[in-house]
Amino acid sequence: MWTYVARKLLYNIPVYLGIILFLMLALRVNDPAYAFLGKNATATDLADIKAKLGLDQPFFYQYLEVLSFNFDVESWANEGLKVSEMLKRSIVPSLSITLPALTLTSIISITIAIISAYFRGRPVDRTLMVVAVVGMSVSFLVYIVFGQYWGAYLLTRDVGIDAFAIGGFEPGLKNWPYYCLLPVLISVIVSMGYDTRFYRSVMVEESGRDYITTAVAKGANKRKVMFVHMLKNAMIPIITRIMTTLPFLIMGSLLLEVYFNIPGMGRVLFKAIQEQDFPVIQSFVTIFAALFILSNILTDVLYALVDPRVRLS
Amino acid sequence: MSTPKIIAGRALASVGFLLLGLGSSCGGQAGAAQAGDKVFVYPIRSSGPGSMDPVRGSTTYDNQACSLVYETLLQYKYLKRPLELEPLLCESMPEVSEDGTVYTFKLKQGILFQDDPCFPDGKGREVTADDVIYSWKRIADKGIGTKNWWLLESTIAGLDEWRETQNTSSDGFDYDAPCEGLKALDRYTIQVTLTEPVTRFLYVLAMFQLSIIPREASELYGTAFSRHPVGTGPFTMNEEDWQTSKSLDFHRNPSFRDEYYPTEWMPEDEASGRHLAAGKKLPIVDHVRINCFVQDQPMWLMFRTGKLDYAQIPAENYVDAIRKRTKTLKKKYREEGITYYPVPLLDFIFRGFNMEDPLVGGSSEENKKLRQAISLAVDLKEFNDTFYNGQNVVYDGPIPPKLAGHPEGHFSDKAYRGPDLERARRLLAEAGYPNGEGLPAISYYTSLAANSAEQTEMMARQLGKIGIELQSNLLEFPQLIEAINKKKATMFSFAWGSDYPDGENNLALFYGPNGSPGSNHYNYKNSEYDLLYEQIRAMPPSPERDEIYETMRDILLEDVPYVGSMARTRNYLSSPWLMNFKPTEDFWNWPKYLDIDESLRN
Repeated sequence: MWTYVARKLLYNIPVYLGIILFLMLALRVNDPAYAFLGKNATATDLADIKAKLGLDQPFFYQYLEVLSFNFDVESWANEGLKVSEMLKRSIVPSLSITLPALTLTSIISITIAIISAYFRGRPVDRTLMVVAVVGMSVSFLVYIVFGQYWGAYLLTRDVGIDAFAIGGFEPGLKNWPYYCLLPVLISVIVSMGYDTRFYRSVMVEESGRDYITTAVAKGANKRKVMFVHMLKNAMIPIITRIMTTLPFLIMGSLLLEVYFNIPGMGRVLFKAIQEQDFPVIQSFVTIFAALFILSNILTDVLYALVDPRVRLS
Repeated sequence: MSTPKIIAGRALASVGFLLLGLGSSCGGQAGAAQAGDKVFVYPIRSSGPGSMDPVRGSTTYDNQACSLVYETLLQYKYLKRPLELEPLLCESMPEVSEDGTVYTFKLKQGILFQDDPCFPDGKGREVTADDVIYSWKRIADKGIGTKNWWLLESTIAGLDEWRETQNTSSDGFDYDAPCEGLKALDRYTIQVTLTEPVTRFLYVLAMFQLSIIPREASELYGTAFSRHPVGTGPFTMNEEDWQTSKSLDFHRNPSFRDEYYPTEWMPEDEASGRHLAAGKKLPIVDHVRINCFVQDQPMWLMFRTGKLDYAQIPAENYVDAIRKRTKTLKKKYREEGITYYPVPLLDFIFRGFNMEDPLVGGSSEENKKLRQAISLAVDLKEFNDTFYNGQNVVYDGPIPPKLAGHPEGHFSDKAYRGPDLERARRLLAEAGYPNGEGLPAISYYTSLAANSAEQTEMMARQLGKIGIELQSNLLEFPQLIEAINKKKATMFSFAWGSDYPDGENNLALFYGPNGSPGSNHYNYKNSEYDLLYEQIRAMPPSPERDEIYETMRDILLEDVPYVGSMARTRNYLSSPWLMNFKPTEDFWNWPKYLDIDESLRN
């Protein structure tokens, strides 16, 4: 397997080099220093800020600089703050929300999808799907505003249970339930509708395959058919969906971070885009591209682990 | 491997990763207060200060943060109204020569900078006259990106020339080069010679941008000094205590000198018990936390659950808290022990034009008529009623109510005050855009605050009535100010809180040499206006000066470099456990006077 992983990594190096080349060109279509400083910037101001990030160097040197993964460059908009420091400070808050949210959403959605497929066409299935459709039809913002009001404010004020923070973030596992659980639950509720519908359609499609009929003919009970035979065979689309989500986890969830005052990556990136903070944007896209490629490699490995027809050789 | 095992494995891996991530952060909780500490927690409605280097700061958020760590030579008396200056780092108010141009300041002895690695052995040293001169000279250094040169421009003898020489010198900026008007007579005495008597000079010395900093820190930390403040103030802040866009934590400065709660107060302070703290050693609280809120809902809910010690009432919660007719606090709030403080601001809310913009700026008749037409199309009363519960004062000119130069009854017949759509359409046609035809969409910048999007909608609708289209750009406050400083914003929504209680401060906003990134965000240039401004700068308060203020106001009303004006009343609520609270936005170093009754909080 490790040979396969190494080979995949090797194959993806030119892909990554190409992506970085493209992204660097895209980010330089308009002069980033000019975009940051504005139309009335003096030539000296422009030269100074370009020199700060090596934008006055030949493109090839800039390319090598980006590929060196040197994030110790200073943010243009936050003087005195290095991009590496911004990443370090914001990655834990983001992952504290997105990672548990993905895990919980996946487990709950897959379970509901299996139940729904099990009772396909019956009232249980229909009810679950109506709930899923209604759930996904309500705006994320509505869940946040009401979740914050009822889940944190009223619970504290009227019931006297200060279970969830209205806003803020403190690192440390003991602080996690207080600051992160409510945003995680909101995120789970929002995503569940989409995921459940998707997984249900995967399960329903699987349930019509010949091997299911064979298993039933051999006397396997329905529960075993659903949870052992069918779920295992449905793992390819499930893995694909989860793995394509992984790189986005690192980027956080902007709305949750804004409303719950969580200093995560989504907020940092959004602020950087607003401020035309080129060093931060370039660093983030470099990381994002790398994560995307790594998650693709990981997906291929997982395919082989769950489906014997896929060979790592 | 079975499927359930894979799912379980993934869940475990995720949780493990989470634990790893969270665990790595354990033990390093930034800004944590110690058990038993008195902690004062308050909100700012922004993603936070832009910089904690005083000379780089300019916003009220920079002011709030810097005023906790840094100190100036003078400050305002906390409890006195109207505002009155008193010495802070000085022993006494300065001696002033008969001709009003030479000021002599005596520093208090034994004032220490906070402990910091920039000093030998990490021990803060004593503040001397050289520190004062160094700190003020920094405001002239273009290399550090100062935004506040306007405060000292054309004020101190030789400083303008010194600035020019140093900023163009091939040997670099030499802080040790002497400047004619700034002299250290001995270790604790500073003599400042002004170019001419400047009325606002003492007010300026109470502004946070002129705070005293140690040279060692500025030189050691370079640009990182923006996030690593080293001052003499009642509180200190470590770099890791500033969690960008989330919070800032300040701790009691252990080397803060003996300073005490004021013994002078107003009659209303006795009624509220603020006088009872007289003589207490400052600061009274051990820890200050500023929480940053881009959205109002979390701020308001946190206040209502007692997690913030005071808050401003967001516009959408105003009717929940305040009786609209009597403007008093509703019973349910009073029963909780909450106190209401309406604070009228020395405030100037406006929609500014970048006068260097080819579309709306300049002094050509056509562009002037375009600006006048825009001004006539805007209905500020509708804004006031819709977004400010009718609490604002709508007025003409740039000078807020209660200051000389403010028009009687808030109204001037020289103003292009809307709504007057007929006249607006006529002027628009004369500007070359009949019914707005041929006029490109005007780029309008505003902050991403509570109801900015709705206010922009209203603005677009009002201007749409005469055929003008707006292209809105909603930015967080630090980005908005950056866009304005860089002259990117054709038209922008902004507010100016007066730095000191004199209309001259607002008139300075239109003085040509103060152009962006200085306080003249409009980049307005009018030689007649500039001459008048230079005249009033040296004049003490008098009827003659008031008359010139009115002339200057009328020039602005005719040229319309902005659409305005309104002054807000800020509605503050405080929790029952917050003691000695007397909110003002005219200065921000008052957290040192506040006390928390932890028994009531719990």
